[in-house]
Order: sequence, then structure tokens, then C-alpha cells
Amino acid sequence: MRPRLEIIDTTLIERIVDEALTVLETTGILVDYEPAFDRLTAAGLPGNAETHRVRFPRDVVERALATAPSGFTLHDRDGEPFARLEDDRVHFVPASSALRILDRATGEVREASSADFVEYAKVADRLQNIAYLSTAFIPKDVPPDIADGWRLYLALASSKKPVVSGAFTAHGVPRMAQMMGLFRHDLEELAEKPMAIFTCCPNTPLRWAEDAAQNLIDCAEAAIPVEIVPVMLLGMISPATPVGALVLHTVEVLSGLTVAQLIRPGTPVLFGGAPASFHMRLMTNPMTAVEALHVYCSYAQIAKHLKLPCQAYMGLSDSKFNDPQAGAESGIGMFLAALAGFNSISGPGMLDYVNCFSLEKLVFDDELAAHAHRYIRPVEVKEDLPTAALFDELLAENHLLTAEHTLEHWPEELYLPGPMVDRTNWDQWAFQGRKDHRTRANEMINELLDDYDVPPLDEALDAEIRHLFASTCDDPDVVLPEA
Amino acid sequence: MADYALMNQKLFEGDDATVRQLTEEALAEGRQAMEVLEEGLIAGMRVVGEDFKYNRIFVPEVLLAARAMKAGMAVLQPLLTASAADTSAGTIVMGTVKGDLHDIGKNLVGMMAEGAGFKVVDLGTNTSDDDFIAAVREHGADILGMSALLTTTMVYMKTVVDAMTAADLSHVSICIGGAPISQDFADEIGAHGYAADAGSAVQLFKRLVGDRVRA
Repeated sequence: MRPRLEIIDTTLIERIVDEALTVLETTGILVDYEPAFDRLTAAGLPGNAETHRVRFPRDVVERALATAPSGFTLHDRDGEPFARLEDDRVHFVPASSALRILDRATGEVREASSADFVEYAKVADRLQNIAYLSTAFIPKDVPPDIADGWRLYLALASSKKPVVSGAFTAHGVPRMAQMMGLFRHDLEELAEKPMAIFTCCPNTPLRWAEDAAQNLIDCAEAAIPVEIVPVMLLGMISPATPVGALVLHTVEVLSGLTVAQLIRPGTPVLFGGAPASFHMRLMTNPMTAVEALHVYCSYAQIAKHLKLPCQAYMGLSDSKFNDPQAGAESGIGMFLAALAGFNSISGPGMLDYVNCFSLEKLVFDDELAAHAHRYIRPVEVKEDLPTAALFDELLAENHLLTAEHTLEHWPEELYLPGPMVDRTNWDQWAFQGRKDHRTRANEMINELLDDYDVPPLDEALDAEIRHLFASTCDDPDVVLPEA
Repeated sequence: MADYALMNQKLFEGDDATVRQLTEEALAEGRQAMEVLEEGLIAGMRVVGEDFKYNRIFVPEVLLAARAMKAGMAVLQPLLTASAADTSAGTIVMGTVKGDLHDIGKNLVGMMAEGAGFKVVDLGTNTSDDDFIAAVREHGADILGMSALLTTTMVYMKTVVDAMTAADLSHVSICIGGAPISQDFADEIGAHGYAADAGSAVQLFKRLVGDRVRA
């Protein structure tokens, strides 16, 4: 049996889904962008041309649920199958789109460059428990209108692994799809062998505005897997209570899913989310708030009930630095997410309300991910029931260190963490140089960088991609940094 | 032809039966017991020690190799004793101090020390100063090792240190360990050495015995 976390029972799940379907059908969603509104009404959804509110009849949503796949396979940049997102398969991924980074040399928070991004991508590529990459933060040395695709390019140039990404403007997806298509024979092959998941965030409450609506439509047209990520603020733009929040969350995800299926049936859609609490004094939005964690794990159950792959922004921290709060919030989030069976968990490396990315945190979170993966392994009988023979040996020898049973099982059963979890006693620690967390993190990062050996992109392909950015950038004189 | 490389390998693998057999074969073809000990067994344990130090192998593998070492030693022992050679790396008398019944760490130290070629006389738990002294005298110990887990029993180590001095056994190195023990405490009670774990305890024993040989 796989260890599993359940927050709500099946009856409540069914009531929430039923209520969501009712809201979709009666209240509907504001599609606040004329081309998208026209597209959806042309596809058969009833819409009010004056208010731009679109209703989602129950049978249409149910048909969309039937065509949305229960899982899909992410491929690497070479087109090889890489990760299957389905059932309870868990993948940890760096969180996305920070505005700043925590400089690992100075400890200061600053804006990032393309060189920072390449360093991040190389480290993430090497980490054993970070399944694939994300466009984790925004390099500020390229114009903002191409920064979304530029990040994806840097990730793909540095690592073969798939990438979680997304566009910054309403026009961002087609250029990024075109770039990914250059790694395949054509866009149809890209559709068959996707190398990225794109994040699409509805504009809570009950609204898809210009960028989000167009991104969603463009992703579906290119069959790019999308994660629909409502960002609720409990108590502010969502009910303060979990069930009400879950209904709103489900409405928004199912609206996005239905749009994607109407545009291109079979487009992979992850039931995603980044629910947060609204802090009634500071007016901040902690995603790691305890009540938000309830909503996260509950919607994983709803996703599984609907046979959809699921995603969450968990394993991150709202702390500003890699302090005890960061460790605790990240560890709690990652364990809960793994127990809930999220297929794609966006969190590692992230601090400060998804505003600041830390490479030191990423290597620590890689270790937490290893722990979480270990924790969700089934507990099984392994030649230890009945116990008579084993206990006889234990009593005879006073230990089992050299027992056949131990020798066979300990390497799989007893996990030895890497350097980010300090298991030395005081004297061993002192003998090994009294290394603090940051020192060990930076040693590990440097070792990973030394170990990096991903072949660079083919020169012609690289030149073609750079030409794509140079020729479509708003600034015709743009000088692109070296990758 | 004695194949010491194979013997080292079998010792590394913890294959005690083959180590015993290879030891017997080496003697049968006329090899000196001391040569077999040095090149067949101790050289093999040296690799084990290095690999453990660099995280290439772990505690179970070290103990298995130690068991294989003992199997070979059992064959060599009578010959080495007959030739009056000092066969072991040194003799350690060890025990958990009076009032304390915790012995897991002490046992681990004993096993690791045996694996490193020491002769270990384990007095078990709840050991009095008289018992320690009697055993040290009986076995001509180079080292007396004491362990304690409790802050209430660790103070007894001072009693033993004083009793050893009174018994004119100050030439025997006293090593202590256990969760509440520190280098400061060792210095305070006049013990000669302290180690934080079984691996460094063995290093400590080697260093202390080496110092004694040089002295």
C-alpha cells in the first residue's frame, strides 16, 4: 500500500464537483478578451456578448473531462520519453518565475542575469531528485517582451530535461511553441512529444483575462500540456473556508480544462493550483499557510476523482532566506504533496512568495525531495514475517549488522542523505571543518557544476533560435547575451 | 604460490571461509605466519579502512571483513604465539561502567577494534573498578576502554582512572566514550583519550599504541 493522505471523503468530493458544475453552468466565467470570447462562443459555449460571460453547460464540461487524458508523457529535448505524469507518480520541479535571486556568493537578493539562469539550469540538470526543470526566474538582461521564451531557450540549451514554463504576454506562446518545434520535425511531432508544461493562471475569481485566455488557447492549439493554476486568496477573493474555496478552485480549473478540450480534444491538462491564505493584517498571500495546505491536498483528491493529473505549488517557502521557516515550510509542503500524490510539484528553490529563487535552497530541497520520495514507498513484508529466525540471530549476536537479512536489505531500506542533511555528531562535525548550511550547499553546487556534461545545442539550431528572438523582439537592435 | 591479492579481496568481501582456507594453504606451502598476517590480512584490512573512510563501504561491510580477519587470525594465532611474536595490534580491555547497562556503542567499538587487529577483552556492562583492574592485569592490556550513556554513571569513570593510578597501572592508556562524554571530560578526569564514534575510537587506539611503541 502506498502511504496516502486523504483530507475529504468521496461524498464531499462529489458534492464539490457537482456544485462546481452548477456554478459553471449557471454563473459561468468572465472571458475578458474579445478574441477568446469569440473563439469559445464559436466553439459552442453560450456567451453574453455584452458582459462577455461564458457559461459552461454540464454536458460540455463532462465531455471535456472525457477527452482530457488521465496522464501524459513529457519528452526530453531530443524527443525521448522522460517522465510520465499519471496516477500517483510524483515529480518535484523548481518553482517558476521569480523576479529575483538570492545570490549564493554574497547572500544578497538581486536581479538575475542569463548567466545566473544557465548556472541554475546546469545545477538543476544534475540534481537526482529534481525531476525536470522550470523557467525558475526571469533574467533581466534581455528585453521583457522576449524574456519568457528566452528563459525556456536557456533551459533547453543547458539541459535535455523537460521544462515547466509559461508566457508573460498574450502573444508569448506561439513564439515559444515555434522554438520548441525547432527541436522536432514539425509542430505535430511536438504535439506528440511535448517537452514542456505551460502554466496558465485564471484571473480569480471566475475570470479569464487577455493574457491567460490567449495563452490557454494557444497552448491547446499546439497541444502543449497546460497546468491550470488558480491563485486563490482565502478570505479575500475566495471563501475563507476550505469547501467554498475548493468549489471556486474546481470551477476555474474545469473552465480552463473545457476551453483546452474544445480547442484541441486530448490536450493534456493538469489540475493545478496555488491557493494561498490572505493575511488579514499584513495583506500578504502565504501559500504555505496551514489552511492553504488543506485546500491543496483536498484538490489533489478532486483531481484524482476526476482522473486528471495534478500539480501544486508546494515545497516552497514564504521566508526571505534559507532559515528554519524555509526548511520547515518546504519540508512540510513536500511531504504533504508527495503523500497527496501530486504529479508535478513546483516549489523547490523558491522563497518569498515566489519572488526569490535560491540555488542553495534548491540543493537542500533536492534532499527533501529524496526524503519525500522515500516516505511514500509502500511498507512491505521483506523476509521479516515471521520473525523467529531473525530474532534468534539478534539475540545470539546482540546485533544484526552482519546478518544476511541486513546485508540484503539495508542499502534499500536505510537511506543515507547527502551533504545537505547533516547527520554527523558534534565531534564529527567539528572534525570535518564545522561547515554550516551555506558552505555545504555551495560545495555541493560547485561539485554539480564540475560534474555537468550535457552536450550543447547543435550550432545551426542554436543560431536559428537566437535569430527567432532577435527578429521578433520589439527592440530591433537587441543584443542577446551569450547562453 | 600464496595469492595475497586474492586473500585481500576475499577479506574485503567478508568471505571468512575462503580467508581461513587461503591462510591454511599459505602456511602449508611454507609461508611464514608473520608474512601471511602482514600481506594477507592486515594489507586487506588497510583497504577496508580506507574505503570506509571515503564512504565507499559501510559498517556492515567493515564488520564482515573483520570477521574474515578473525577467521584468518585463528589459523595464525598458535604459530605466532609459538614464535613469541606480538600478533595483535594491541590488547584492549573494555566495558560499560558500573551502574550502566548500555552497551550498543561499546560493542560496536569492540567489533571495529577487532577488525583492525586488536585483541579485545569485553567485560560487558556494569563493570566495577576492581573488575577492570583485574582484567587489565590478567591480559596485559595496552588500553582500557570505558563507556557510559548516562550523566549519572559517567562520573564513575573518574573512580576507575584513580583506581588505575593507585594500582600502579598508569602506563595503560585509558580511553572513554559515550553520548555524554566529551574531550573536556576526558581531560578533566585524566583519561588519555576520547573518541566520538567507533571509527575514530579505532584511530585513537592505533595512535595510543603507536605512541607507546615509540615511547
